[in-house]
Amino acid sequence: MIAPVAARRRRTDQVMRAVLLGGTLVALVPLVFVVYYLFKQGIGAISWDFFTTDPTGRFLGPPGGVKSAIVGTIMIVGLAALIAIPLGIGVALYLVEYGKQNVFSNVVRYFVDVMTGVPSIVFGLFIYIVLVLTGIGGNFAGWKGSIALALLMLPVVTRSAEVVLGLVPNSLREAALALGAPRWKVVFRIVLPTALPGLITGSMLAVARGAGETAPLLFTAFAVNATTWNLGEQMNSLPIQIFNDVRQPQANIVERAWGSALTLVAMILILTLIARLIQRRSRFA
Amino acid sequence: MSPASSGSGRQHFQEELRELEAQALGGIDLVVRTLDRTLEALEHQDIELASIVVHDDDRIDGRYLEVQQGILSLLALQAPVASDLRVVAALLHVIKHVERMGDQCVNIAKMLPVVGFEPPSDEVMLEHIFRMGRLARSEVEQSKQAFMLRDVAVAEDLVRQDLEINRLNRSVFARAVEIGTDEDRREWAMSMMLVARAIERIGDNAVDIGEQVAFVVTGEFREFSDASRVSL
Amino acid sequence: MSTEPTERAAQAPAEAVPAVTPRTAGAKAPAEIVSPGRTVTLDGLKAFYGSSEAVRGISLTYAANEVTAMIGPSGCGKSTVVRCINRMHEEIPGAHAEGSVLLDDADVYAADVDVVAVRRQIGMVFQKPNPFPTMSIFDNVAAGLRLSGRRGDVKDRVEQSLRGAGLWEEVKDRLSQPGIGLSGGQQQRLCIARTIAVEPEVIIMDEPASALDPISTLKIEELVEQLKTRYTIIIVTHNMQQAARVADKTAFMLSGELVEFAETEKIFTNPDDSRTEDYVTGKFG
Repeated sequence: MIAPVAARRRRTDQVMRAVLLGGTLVALVPLVFVVYYLFKQGIGAISWDFFTTDPTGRFLGPPGGVKSAIVGTIMIVGLAALIAIPLGIGVALYLVEYGKQNVFSNVVRYFVDVMTGVPSIVFGLFIYIVLVLTGIGGNFAGWKGSIALALLMLPVVTRSAEVVLGLVPNSLREAALALGAPRWKVVFRIVLPTALPGLITGSMLAVARGAGETAPLLFTAFAVNATTWNLGEQMNSLPIQIFNDVRQPQANIVERAWGSALTLVAMILILTLIARLIQRRSRFA
Repeated sequence: MSPASSGSGRQHFQEELRELEAQALGGIDLVVRTLDRTLEALEHQDIELASIVVHDDDRIDGRYLEVQQGILSLLALQAPVASDLRVVAALLHVIKHVERMGDQCVNIAKMLPVVGFEPPSDEVMLEHIFRMGRLARSEVEQSKQAFMLRDVAVAEDLVRQDLEINRLNRSVFARAVEIGTDEDRREWAMSMMLVARAIERIGDNAVDIGEQVAFVVTGEFREFSDASRVSL
Repeated sequence: MSTEPTERAAQAPAEAVPAVTPRTAGAKAPAEIVSPGRTVTLDGLKAFYGSSEAVRGISLTYAANEVTAMIGPSGCGKSTVVRCINRMHEEIPGAHAEGSVLLDDADVYAADVDVVAVRRQIGMVFQKPNPFPTMSIFDNVAAGLRLSGRRGDVKDRVEQSLRGAGLWEEVKDRLSQPGIGLSGGQQQRLCIARTIAVEPEVIIMDEPASALDPISTLKIEELVEQLKTRYTIIIVTHNMQQAARVADKTAFMLSGELVEFAETEKIFTNPDDSRTEDYVTGKFG
């Protein structure tokens, strides 16, 4: 005869369950609200023109779309990712594969942690002072914004990559070493492919973070209305566009801001989906 | 396959091994008792005692089967190695010798109805036989001691007593040959010779047990034989 | 023994029957050597983890085309010793080894020796099967070849190795499926195939069957019997029945020292050292 659950314990189980469920719902509520609101406010602005015309910048008359902002975001964040992701993974590789125990690695790790906490505006200011004011390569420029964003994204990539690379079982490295592989091959042919899914996820998180930052771009890429594909010039971007539009009195321009926000979220969502698909496809070479 | 581990598993095994050894050596005790009875029956021509001996041999046979089963179980379940393995192997031999000794006692006891009602024809022969009996008993007890103590010297000493038994056996044989032509006497003498031979075999079995002692201790098996042995 | 008195007397003049060492019946029949392996000789090998000495000067010869087992309680240093043979020990941060390990006449620890080349000649199979998770069965076996930079006919080699590991029949129809989809015993044989694909001369097995079920264990043991015709095999095991079944010679280690090294049969029927006796009979360990 097995003793049945005591009534008191059952009650405690139920109470705990209810509490945790309640907490989850509470946490979900703002998320749902945000998404709903975003959709509700922004869907009105979405149209073909929205994606294909530049903002006119005119006070009166048709406000135009946000093509230049979309292009700008893609270009600037793209370049930033190109810089930050390989660099971040590289740093993580060093920390995990070569420098597990020495003092230098610990110092690096500490600074990476510090960098994750630095406010984004500081990066923008830094690049402003170092690159913009000094006039290197022109005044405001898209690529300078990329660098600022890259600085922002780097610690995120490094931290998550380090965790993921650390999760690769040591037995795999041992197996590869025992087969007579030089260390670099072990890293590039075994460790990286095995950690790939996690690395992609971490990179996507970094990209999402970077794509949404306004402050760094304020001082570096600045803002223009016309679409430009040249990173050497000033460029528009969605966060900047939203920032500007929200402060305007015209209702349709404010609506455009909502549409931009919705677009930004959608872009990141699509990017993440693509990354997941690639990752699933490449799981078994 | 479970690795050999200290703790309860192996302790259990050690206990079982000790029990098994106690059982097998207990068989030697049974033989000593049986031998005592046999010799007593012989001395007093007690037919009843003799038949008890014959029936009680079932006990010894039963002990043989018990020990054998225990050995099989230990080998199958515990996979003993090194000295444990040698002990188990030795116990198998020991209990076999125990069983044989029991059978020899039965052989002696079965002679009694044949010779029981006759007056002894040759006192000397009888005296030899009783001496052989005492020596055999002492050998059997000593073999048990040797095994219990794992003492090779004590085991080797068995040879000395066994030589004496052999000598007496030859003597009995010689006397039987010269007993004369009287049919009754001849019959008696031949029966007595068989008795002597059975006792001599008991002694040999005890020496064999001694050889097992040496095997357990040294890991080598060799036949005990005395280099300074006097040949016939 | 139990004979007529006269017969016994007739035997008297003979000398004492010479002592017979129990049983040469179980000695392993010398296998037909397909390809000569190399002899591995340890000379005063010491191994350290930081400043703590785990292996205290061991000298030992592993004969070619034989299986030698290393037994001993946990922590006695047997795994450390074999890892020194293929120089995997030094991959652990802070670990180093002294002394020499000779592959026939060449010292593996000589100053100008390429560690990677050593590991191609001395292969290793680990306790827990570790096939590369991102690779198919075929790629796993080929991994050894590709990682060590060997060109040549990969396909044939893969088939040969899988046959050599006794796995070909079971997987020949699904070579492109992921390696981790196999059962534990098959995975371990896959790892063995991967190891022999590189054509080493010595194979070290560190408790190869301890994570496997009894049937897989037996298959691996059969495999070892066949493998020894081509390679020299060193197998670390804490399963003494396995050592008894598989090894020609056995070495017993305790607290970093070599206590006894002899024919397996001697170790298990009549060892010289009382410590060996105590260990194999299970009085400690």
